[in-house]
Amino acid sequence: MATNPPNDLTTRLYDPADPTRRRLLAGLLTAYTASLIPALAEPAPHADRGAFTALSAILVGRQALDSVQATHLYDALAVNNPYFAADVQALLGLIDRRHIDPMQLQSVLDAEHSPLAPLPRNIVGAWCLGIVGSGEAARCIAFETALNAVMVADVLKPPTYAYGVYGSWASKPV
Amino acid sequence: MSLQSSADVVVIGSGICGSLAAWRFATQGASVLILEAGPRLDRGRIVAAFRNSTRRGDWMSPYPPSPWAPHPIYKPKDNGYLVQAGPYPYPAEYIRAVGGTTWHWAAQAWRLLPNDLRIKSLYGVGVDWPMTYEELDPWYQEAEEIIGVAGAPNTGSPRSKPFPMEPVAEPWSMRRFRERLAPSYAVVANTVARNSRSYGGRPACVGNNSCQPICPVNAQYTGDNAADAAEAAGAKLVPNAVVYRIEHDAQGRIAAVHYYDPDKTSHRVTGKTFILAANGIESPKLLLLSASSKYPNGLANSSGMVGRHLMDHPSSSLTFYADEELWLGRGPQSPSSINTLRDGAFRSEHAPYRLDFTNISQVYSVTQYLIKEGVYGPEFEKQLRWRAARQVNVKNVLEVLPDPDNRITLSSEKDAMGIPKPEAHYSIGDYTRRAADVSKADFARIAELMGGTGLRYSADGQFANNQHITGTMGMGSDPATSVTDGYGRTHDHENLFICSTGVMPTAATMNSTLTAIALALRTVNHIQPAPAPTSSTTSAAREESHA
Repeated sequence: MATNPPNDLTTRLYDPADPTRRRLLAGLLTAYTASLIPALAEPAPHADRGAFTALSAILVGRQALDSVQATHLYDALAVNNPYFAADVQALLGLIDRRHIDPMQLQSVLDAEHSPLAPLPRNIVGAWCLGIVGSGEAARCIAFETALNAVMVADVLKPPTYAYGVYGSWASKPV
Repeated sequence: MSLQSSADVVVIGSGICGSLAAWRFATQGASVLILEAGPRLDRGRIVAAFRNSTRRGDWMSPYPPSPWAPHPIYKPKDNGYLVQAGPYPYPAEYIRAVGGTTWHWAAQAWRLLPNDLRIKSLYGVGVDWPMTYEELDPWYQEAEEIIGVAGAPNTGSPRSKPFPMEPVAEPWSMRRFRERLAPSYAVVANTVARNSRSYGGRPACVGNNSCQPICPVNAQYTGDNAADAAEAAGAKLVPNAVVYRIEHDAQGRIAAVHYYDPDKTSHRVTGKTFILAANGIESPKLLLLSASSKYPNGLANSSGMVGRHLMDHPSSSLTFYADEELWLGRGPQSPSSINTLRDGAFRSEHAPYRLDFTNISQVYSVTQYLIKEGVYGPEFEKQLRWRAARQVNVKNVLEVLPDPDNRITLSSEKDAMGIPKPEAHYSIGDYTRRAADVSKADFARIAELMGGTGLRYSADGQFANNQHITGTMGMGSDPATSVTDGYGRTHDHENLFICSTGVMPTAATMNSTLTAIALALRTVNHIQPAPAPTSSTTSAAREESHA
């Protein structure tokens, strides 16, 4: 059982400068949503998945997302919601049309009783916890590569992974 | 069909107490058979199950119960195994598997205080133990040397010999608590069965921060190590052996136990000495299940005390943001606490308590919070880092007094094997609730000293449980009010002994496992005396023999 994550985890998965890791999204985004995720604003080969990556990037506030993980999460989320692709397109379009700030998005959807209201939490939960679904139907899709682990990877290791040699935790965190 | 086998010593339960008792008997030449209701587990698979879990704050999530030996599960929904009779919930968690519940403990291996054993005499509450702390001291020492305990001498529990290991290196976060709370509060290193150096053939801690639910590298002692040692010493361990009846002879001696295998084939095991070590819930359940015409209220129950005096350690808590980056999650999960409130004259009025700081990574809980709050966009990462760096928690660990109405009984409901489920009757008395109220002032002061903001107290009257199942088969000098004598021998059956946290007459404020191990070793020595543990055996020799 490995107890050390790959050393290059963060770099390998989330280097926005790596053109092979970018999602190609031009054509899906208008000026507003493109302004939220400029590094991702390139042509998309598959509109549904491209829209998912664009919406994901807006919701989790990152300029680059791993394409393999995006595929896994998309597939898992789509299993739980047969209208997932359409919902993603609809929410992306809504953000675009109304220039909704991501921090205001949930309250806007909740206030309007939008059928899209569950979507942001489902997507952010998938990316940031690595978990799709809830209750007995929940599934773990990612752990070490879930974004909440990646976002603190300079300070913490995911639980179960060795922090370092004995006593290395005694020093002030960087 | 009933299949038969026999041994000098039959041990029911392969947890840390039963397995260490078995190990000790086996090393002294006895034939030993351990019957474990649950299956064998594999450490690597548990780690993988945790990583793949959808409930990473649920320490039971990597331990699904087996159909033939269920244990309580509450998430994502209650499996209904531990029936709740109320009035207050008692959602005990334990693991029926080879090695038992210490698979997912935090390895806090505390001694009690001398006064904990005399609270009736000193404070007029609870009961006194049928022994003194001084009598327990050498057995504590032996237990600490066997399982490998690291600690500091400034926790309030006296000792006649040094700890086997130096305290585990203090995480930065705990250092800052220690520095900033002084001199108002003394924050000290917890006493833990966690290696601060290689010990017992196991490595030093490397800070995986998953002590609960699983240490991936075996740096903290768990019951599977005890089971392995027992088997290496010659004990035979039968997993998936669900004991459902203890059989006595005409004289009241125990003659045999009966168990089902997963196919519900019944087996009968005879022996000379029987050790019941199936935890503080399953053990009384089994005694009650074994009622006969001679013992209509169950075995060992002439006092009517089997299952009664159920105790645990409820906790209330405060979560807040410190005014500096502490980044809980670096190093082990339970490193430090405040021990100065474990005893005092106030014990005549309210419960004593320990104040415990968590060092569990806050990333998971903060992530859940941010998603719940709808924090999206670049703000998510910004807030995740800010909150995960500063969020801290302090909880009390409160004593519960022995109350005969807090008890385990047999439910009318049955499990898949047709065996009655245990039923918990539980309440938390005013003595304990008053201490929770008092401790809120400590919480507030601690937050103040840490520059705390965003203070979130647990709801008044609501307590988390600590899974320190205590009482239910209490020891005592009077057979009319206790289940066993001071050596764990049941008053009613001369060859039936109990090794469990269940024999503890009171719960005090400390995690109960080390005390139960010390009592178990003392019980074994009473049955089959060995050379004095503190004169002829060095720590190094013990360390090597248990590797």
